Amino acid sequence: MKRLSCLLVLALVMSLSLGAHAAKVIEITYWTHTDDNRTTIENKYIAEFEKMYPDVKVKRVVNEASKMGDLVLTAFSANRGPDLFNLPIEQEYGYIMQNRVSPVDYAAIGYKNADALKADYMKGTFEAVTKGGKIYGLPLELTNWCIYINKKIFRSAGLDPEKDYPRTWEQMADISEKLVIRNGDIIMRRGFDFRYPYYLVSLLPMVEQLGGQLISDDGKKAIVNDQAWLKVLKFMKEWGPHGRNLGSPTYPAPRKIWNKDNNDMAMCLSGFYQQGRLRIDNPAFFDSKEWMVVPFPKFKDAVKDVACSYYGHFLMVNAQSSKDKQEMAWKLAQYMLSHPMEYLEVVNIIIPRKDMLSSKEFKANPYMDVFMGDMDRGHSVFLHENGYQFERFIGDAVQAVMLSNVSEQQALATLRQRIQEVLDEQ
Amino acid sequence: MPRTKRFSMEQKKARWGWIFVTPSLVFFAVFSFYPIFNAFYLSFFRKNLLSLKPPAFIGFGNYTYLFTSSLFKESVVNTAIFTFGTFVPLLVLSLILAAFIMSRKRFQKFYQMVLYSPAALSSVVAAMIWLLIFDPRGLANQGLNLVFGTSGVNYHWLSNDTMLRLSTIIVYVWKYVGYFTVIFVAGIGAIPNTLHEAALIDGADRWQDFWHITFPLLKPTTLLVSVMAMIQCLKTFSTQYLFTTAGAPRQPINVLTLNIYYTAIKDHSIGRASAMSVLLFLVMLVFTWLQLRLSRTEEVTYM
Repeated sequence: MKRLSCLLVLALVMSLSLGAHAAKVIEITYWTHTDDNRTTIENKYIAEFEKMYPDVKVKRVVNEASKMGDLVLTAFSANRGPDLFNLPIEQEYGYIMQNRVSPVDYAAIGYKNADALKADYMKGTFEAVTKGGKIYGLPLELTNWCIYINKKIFRSAGLDPEKDYPRTWEQMADISEKLVIRNGDIIMRRGFDFRYPYYLVSLLPMVEQLGGQLISDDGKKAIVNDQAWLKVLKFMKEWGPHGRNLGSPTYPAPRKIWNKDNNDMAMCLSGFYQQGRLRIDNPAFFDSKEWMVVPFPKFKDAVKDVACSYYGHFLMVNAQSSKDKQEMAWKLAQYMLSHPMEYLEVVNIIIPRKDMLSSKEFKANPYMDVFMGDMDRGHSVFLHENGYQFERFIGDAVQAVMLSNVSEQQALATLRQRIQEVLDEQ
Repeated sequence: MPRTKRFSMEQKKARWGWIFVTPSLVFFAVFSFYPIFNAFYLSFFRKNLLSLKPPAFIGFGNYTYLFTSSLFKESVVNTAIFTFGTFVPLLVLSLILAAFIMSRKRFQKFYQMVLYSPAALSSVVAAMIWLLIFDPRGLANQGLNLVFGTSGVNYHWLSNDTMLRLSTIIVYVWKYVGYFTVIFVAGIGAIPNTLHEAALIDGADRWQDFWHITFPLLKPTTLLVSVMAMIQCLKTFSTQYLFTTAGAPRQPINVLTLNIYYTAIKDHSIGRASAMSVLLFLVMLVFTWLQLRLSRTEEVTYM
């Protein structure tokens, strides 16, 4: 009996000590979106990080990009959000405003303060994630879109891609008219088409080129400069099936089919990352040099030279995670992001660190000068707590003129009424 | 003494009944009743889904807002159009198909299986299949061009308001017609053969047999199918969601459930979305109550 009691006590002590050891392990949950190239290098960094910190275990969870926003939101609303995550900044903005993410732990990532961190990155990188002087995220990527051109399709339509590429939106429509192939009303090949759901990134800058704004500077009035909006809506109406029939949101997404080089799509709007995907999807086309990238066009009578807005994915840390988890999550984020060149070469995403941006290797990438030139011409995407709602309303207006043949004036009136209603409520 | 024995047997049965029913009750309580009560509760508050602040009580504020909101009115109209536009063809087609299947001497099970198979598909997969068909270069345009002997006419399945509504109705009818056909087949099968035989002896033809014997005796089944179909249509979401994410305009197919999703998940306004859910729930509750009430008065017994 005595022996049995001793054994039981020993087992209890051992299990307690094991439990105590287990309690020391910090498990960090990191949620991110699908990208096979990034998964490869990040898994490698995580393995290295776990070696550096044996008491840390990282659980990297990959979610479908289109569902990621809903999943993170649902988890946070149930107070079960991941310790570390990334989303497009338009979505992350709400998390900052609602204090759901913690400010960067400068000491944990080896910086003295916010200024020291900013000094290592391109100017303006942290503007979108700064609140009350504190920085709330580290940039995983900063992206802007330019126009990708398939040179072969240009030549097949008797155009010289190097000389005839569109500089203005008016030229874009005229050139698309030359490139488009139709079977009756049905478009078999498009010259160019827009990225329809992303109106804040690509359509709002077109309005800004003409002097318009979505909301006034004081944030109280919806729609500034009706003429600018009407001109853009008219342009979109002309683009659609009730106008010159050059494209429509109901055709397949241009960026996805452009890579196939199967005479479907001559031009598309995309970021530097498109090259990484092209290299995988269609290496022969990637190596053929039969493609090029040109800047985001502007209207002939533009009053402002504005390129497509840039947006970013930032790594953020859950404010509800324990302090030691937060510290380790920031360390992990910093460790992964300390390899910007590998992210560029393998994943084709730009982490805007000054040391990389000024390197010869960075500048040697195809058409990097075009992307960086447009970055200078552009600005960060429009951010607002109701940004997604506004984007949906803009989408409704564009679809109304393009597909339902509603007049620009009527579509603008509805757009103004809906945005104003949201602003008034605030 | 025998009385006591029977009572204890009943008690035993009841105990086992509770044991079998408890898991389902717990499941329903956690995943259905709690969310319903929570939605009722939240509908009286202003609450941002992301905010850590406690929700602010606003009484009927969310409801009064909804009754003045143009977007809410739009989604009510769209839901009504979709529900009635889908429910009528669903009911008629499934009845016709059931009568056709029951009139066959062979392959009855095969026809049922073929018709039922779309119901086994997930709504997302069904919508994806139809998106390919409705693509401007897809089968729908090709088929109509072939039928009408035209070339290159775009019927704007996903862009014209009316065609887009029709497209969502087609998807839904295709998906659920087999399901309701099977219910009608069961209903027709329950009608005693002697009644048909008597009608035939009295000189009735097939049409008269269907119209004067089968159809009146199918009233309870028709009622059940119509209410089930209507409730199913009111809950439609995946088709409209996938069509809008594929580029179709939102306004013509912005049904209530889609509006609820956008309000809660995209706009983070969970109180307002809950109020919409409650209103939708009440509409469905009324239909269910009507069904229960009417089915009691329309009960058919075969002596």
